Amino acid sequence: MLVEVVQAVVTGLLIGLTFAVLAVGFSLIWGTTGVVNIAHSAFAVLAAFLSLVASRQWGLDPIAALVGLVPLFFILGVVLHEVLIKVAARRTKELGLASMIFTFGLASFMENGMAYVWGPGPRVLNTAYTGAAVHLLGISIPLTHAYGALLGLATIGLLYGFLYHTFPGKAVRAVWQQRDGAALCGIPLHRVTALTYGVSIASASVAGVAMALIYSFTPATYMVWLVNVFLIVIVGGVGSLLGAAAAGLIVGLVSSLSVLVMPFVWTNLALFGLLILVLLVRPSGLLKR
Amino acid sequence: MVNRPRDWVYVFGILLALGLLPLAQPSEYVLSFLYFLFSYAAMAVAWNVLGGFGGYLSFGHVTFFGTGAYVTGLMLVHWGWSPLITAPLGGLAAALLALVIGYPTLRLRGPYFTVVTVVTVLIAKIVVLNVPLTGAAMGLWMPFPPWDPFTSRVIFYEAVLVLLLAALLMARWVQHAKFGFGLRVLREDEDAAAAIGVPAFRLKLGALLLSAFVCGMVGAVHGYDRSYLHPDFMFDLHPSIMMVLMALFGGRDHWLGPLVGAVAVMITDELLTVYVGTEAARMLFGLLLIIVVLFLPEGVISLRLPKKPPRAAAAGEGVSSP
Repeated sequence: MLVEVVQAVVTGLLIGLTFAVLAVGFSLIWGTTGVVNIAHSAFAVLAAFLSLVASRQWGLDPIAALVGLVPLFFILGVVLHEVLIKVAARRTKELGLASMIFTFGLASFMENGMAYVWGPGPRVLNTAYTGAAVHLLGISIPLTHAYGALLGLATIGLLYGFLYHTFPGKAVRAVWQQRDGAALCGIPLHRVTALTYGVSIASASVAGVAMALIYSFTPATYMVWLVNVFLIVIVGGVGSLLGAAAAGLIVGLVSSLSVLVMPFVWTNLALFGLLILVLLVRPSGLLKR
Repeated sequence: MVNRPRDWVYVFGILLALGLLPLAQPSEYVLSFLYFLFSYAAMAVAWNVLGGFGGYLSFGHVTFFGTGAYVTGLMLVHWGWSPLITAPLGGLAAALLALVIGYPTLRLRGPYFTVVTVVTVLIAKIVVLNVPLTGAAMGLWMPFPPWDPFTSRVIFYEAVLVLLLAALLMARWVQHAKFGFGLRVLREDEDAAAAIGVPAFRLKLGALLLSAFVCGMVGAVHGYDRSYLHPDFMFDLHPSIMMVLMALFGGRDHWLGPLVGAVAVMITDELLTVYVGTEAARMLFGLLLIIVVLFLPEGVISLRLPKKPPRAAAAGEGVSSP
């Protein structure tokens, strides 16, 4: 039993790291512009499909494919920013509501576009190391989980370095904390938020590949990922990088530990229940100071 | 708000005339298309009471639709009660569920509320898929309606037409009643509304219950028409998206908006599905949502209704006169 629990804890932490990356980007956009980007996880699923195509067509390793995917998704993020903030935000005073409808439409467009191109069925990313595992003290760690988690850890580390130790990153945090104040200090809001969107969607592509290493996915998977992301951001508090990272680990743990005590189908139910509970008890986030 | 007093006469006149349509022996295709149009329109009109007037964006109304279908379906299977008669009970069950969901979650605002509504659909689907009572993943088979195909189409057509009329009357009443003014006030600024004594929570809950009731009734009728219920399509997010799209496309500030939106969206949907296939159609709907947000935030109906009625006319007729 102990081995099983340790195994579940390790798996949960590894999965949690990949979810944390997805949540961090989502949180960035929400924090800086007040936009709840429902299409965020759809971008991750798109990255998963593109890495699948890359590995089928050119035999490229999904992680190597990120060299092309990250810049591409950065550009997509900037384009999203230009359309959403430049056009939509100027026409409505309720950007929160309008942007949700906008990104819901975008997500629906992307989901059905992917289903149109690649079919609605589940896909699995096959790599040279799929099925291989490291054995350590009686627990086994699949290499796909390990690489996915490492990818997540590296991305969160990079984002931390960017946000806390570079000038543009500090500008992003400034806009996050006090929009008007940042503008008064001479920070070019528009360029900073454009950069935020680029970084956020680029990180979504990394998260998509990391999660595709671990899970099978369909175009409709984005909804399940979105709920997880939302849960993580709520638990961690909107506007907190480390909060989101910690909450990602918690959510990973809950989902892998709940498998031990209840049938698999009810696992998602446990997560959804947790989400509603946290929202009702402490909507500002459990971990936020 | 409404500057053309006779709009409602035309609308209800046309709908009542459509009630006589089966006498002209139209093809089953026409009846079937209008049946879908009316049932979607009824739900969109009802959704608009909370989503449009109140500004609480819900993607979860399909839960109430599915609940109505399952509750009345089970009553038919176990007790032999026809869903056409028990539809109000299906509506009540949906409203009861709405009370259970809404009581805690309507305290949440903006994106928090919206995400919870999406989650309720996912939860409902998992629960129904795993509970033996509802037939779980096998689905629920009901006895077929006892009429020949044409009579059956006519009966279901008339049933949803009645529901649509009821939904429109309800929405029209809400819009011109104190209830509707309260809802729109709290959409503009909930804290300010609460500060001047608008019972925000009660209004939101009332709006949710009303819209859930209508969706539950439509679900009951629709479930009986299909005679087979499965969580994959009774708790699918797509109908919810369609309701939102219709209401926003038509215009959420007016009871008539969702009906106009429903007509436009259903005709487009039919053409797209026939000529380019389901997935492409759904892609275009996603695109349509984006276009509405970008270029028509007030909906199609804003093209016809003057944005601000002239002061003299408004004062003369009374702002609330229909």
